[in-house]
Amino acid sequence: MIKLIEKIEGEAKLNFNFKDNKIDFVDIEFMSTRNIENILRGKNAFDALVINPRVCGICGHAHLIATVQALEDCYDNLELSNKAKIIRELTLNFELIQNHFKWYYLTMLPLFGHKQQVLKATFPSQLMGKAIALFGGQYPHTSYAIVGGVVCEITEIDIIKLQHYIAQTIKFVEDNLVKTDSENFLTCKDADVLLDYEGDLPDILRQIKKEELLEYGKSYDRFISFGENSYFKKGKSLKTKVSHNISVEHVKESEMPSSFAKNVSFKDKYYEVGPLARAMVNKTPLIADAHKKYGDSIFSRILARVCEISQLLEHSKKLIKDLDLSEESYIEPSIDISQLNSSGYSAVEAARGTLIHKVEIENGIIKNYEIITPTQWNLSGGTKDKLGVSQKAMIGLSDIKTAELVFKSFDVCSVCTTH
Amino acid sequence: MKNKMRVLWLSAIACNGNTHAFLNYPYMEQFLDDFEFIYHPVIDSEYSLEDIVSKEIPCDILLIEGAISKEFQRADVSVVDIIEKYSKIVQKIVTVGTCATFGGIFRESGYEETSGMHFDQDKPSQKFQDLIDKTISVSGCPVHPEVLVNTLYAIKKNAALKLDNFLRPKEFYAYTIHNGCTRNEYFEYKVDNHQFGKLEGCMFYDHGCQAPFTHGSCNKILWNEINSKTRAGLSCMGCTEPTFPRQNLFSTKKNMAIPENLPVGVGKRVYLTLAGISKAFKIDRLEKKLIDD
Repeated sequence: MIKLIEKIEGEAKLNFNFKDNKIDFVDIEFMSTRNIENILRGKNAFDALVINPRVCGICGHAHLIATVQALEDCYDNLELSNKAKIIRELTLNFELIQNHFKWYYLTMLPLFGHKQQVLKATFPSQLMGKAIALFGGQYPHTSYAIVGGVVCEITEIDIIKLQHYIAQTIKFVEDNLVKTDSENFLTCKDADVLLDYEGDLPDILRQIKKEELLEYGKSYDRFISFGENSYFKKGKSLKTKVSHNISVEHVKESEMPSSFAKNVSFKDKYYEVGPLARAMVNKTPLIADAHKKYGDSIFSRILARVCEISQLLEHSKKLIKDLDLSEESYIEPSIDISQLNSSGYSAVEAARGTLIHKVEIENGIIKNYEIITPTQWNLSGGTKDKLGVSQKAMIGLSDIKTAELVFKSFDVCSVCTTH
Repeated sequence: MKNKMRVLWLSAIACNGNTHAFLNYPYMEQFLDDFEFIYHPVIDSEYSLEDIVSKEIPCDILLIEGAISKEFQRADVSVVDIIEKYSKIVQKIVTVGTCATFGGIFRESGYEETSGMHFDQDKPSQKFQDLIDKTISVSGCPVHPEVLVNTLYAIKKNAALKLDNFLRPKEFYAYTIHNGCTRNEYFEYKVDNHQFGKLEGCMFYDHGCQAPFTHGSCNKILWNEINSKTRAGLSCMGCTEPTFPRQNLFSTKKNMAIPENLPVGVGKRVYLTLAGISKAFKIDRLEKKLIDD
């Protein structure tokens, strides 16, 4: 039975095979592509900074940061101020946060039978948009991070404004999502304690428990995360065993006959990426506890994503304290791009997980460009013998409605996948 | 029950950037009181995409996001067929963003005859000729949410909007991005030593800023209500224009040291004369840090 899954920044076609009234196999098909990698070929390398945010309307900023880092990786000894690094990390955090709000209030709530809450999605995500615009001029689709730093010069007044956007967003979380002091939420180490709080998040978590959905959405319990910064660690997690020694070299893309999306694997195995993966690699106590109790189910996956909102807001407050405004925002590279024959890559954590960009440059012109998006990891479509992560998570379910919930718990992004 | 205007938001070859730009509209509650989406890429609607393509749902305004090609399908139906079906019943069609208007970035995505609805870059396209009187274009990559929403209100009110040659409301596109830029004085007095990462300086001379010859209101109404790319220190990339994306976006193309593209309506000779005179100014305030010790 074929079902068109809509409103995932586009669509995907899921072809369900049932056996004894249970889902036995799901084929995932993306119906189009936009050939961004071809569009980039032959263009001036810096133009990728303008084109790549247009891979995706909801996580385009991650594509900008991945682009600038891949280009910078092409240089030897490129100088970058700490200030520029912090500012880039901040704006990427803000994009993750706006995404999670939208996912929760626009996508998740309706799947649990509640009314979509447009204003609860737009109010905090607009604040995060302002926070990005303060540095980048606008959101979405700025290109403010350029090779050598960022284009903006920030003043003390800008920092004050930024702190207000963050404080207002934290207040929104405390008034709506988890009705307690953020400090309590962030230091909570027991997923069951969280169920006693009021708020939109505990409501859904309680519903998952009450409706006995706790076993739903489990997959390989195998996670990976490549994007490293001052908050996220690089590593993989098998059940609870974490190792940090992984290399992008072992990430492989392969064509799929039935879909425009390409499969992604690490050492020939499919891994889950995204907030749950990051929390497992980071060993975040609350998520580790949820995982211990409920495994890699929708409970843990939803909790991890929403929890990241508060974690990143808190971490951003710390990052702001580390900003030294007297440092340079931008340090001009000593070599002109037109003299570069080189290649580079980057891995950053986008809202939905690890995003990888690879570039080859010849005399400053893009010879080759490759983009691996988070949704490709989670939605790799395997065979019956070797299922992809989201495929495996849907096996055994008895109805398509629940399968859609499990599928969307990965926060699927069709446009990214069909880059 | 209030009579809401019914809107179909149709995405063609797009990144959904306009969808998310729209979600930044600050008075969303009011908007959703006055308009109802029969389909929207992320906002819940009464109908599914499959309903939209298989039936004919009553609708007042058709919004199109993304570049258009007959070959590109949504829910197994060509976007051209969907557009043709709904364009017959709606009062107005709005091409949202630069892809839907001119082809934009995804004009190059490799589908057969990809372009905007009425324009293939700056060339008129014959495809939907009979619909030209129904169409308003709000270009931009992405569109500014206020430009989109206020255009929809103008349609609702039956207000007469004056349009430019690309069907864009002059109210928003008669201005250039240069209008309202905080770096204007560096342009006026030809202080041409811009460096990235500084509050000071103008990106027009060396860093590819297209603001003086790009139409739009970015610096008049600002983005996210607070800033603009040029104010932040990033060059205007000319994203509202049929030429978007040009090549070598971070550097200014020059002939004999004169920028190839000059402000709208300004001739080379006059520009050169005026630049020479302007350079005679030595304005201390603009030569040093704006916020100095």
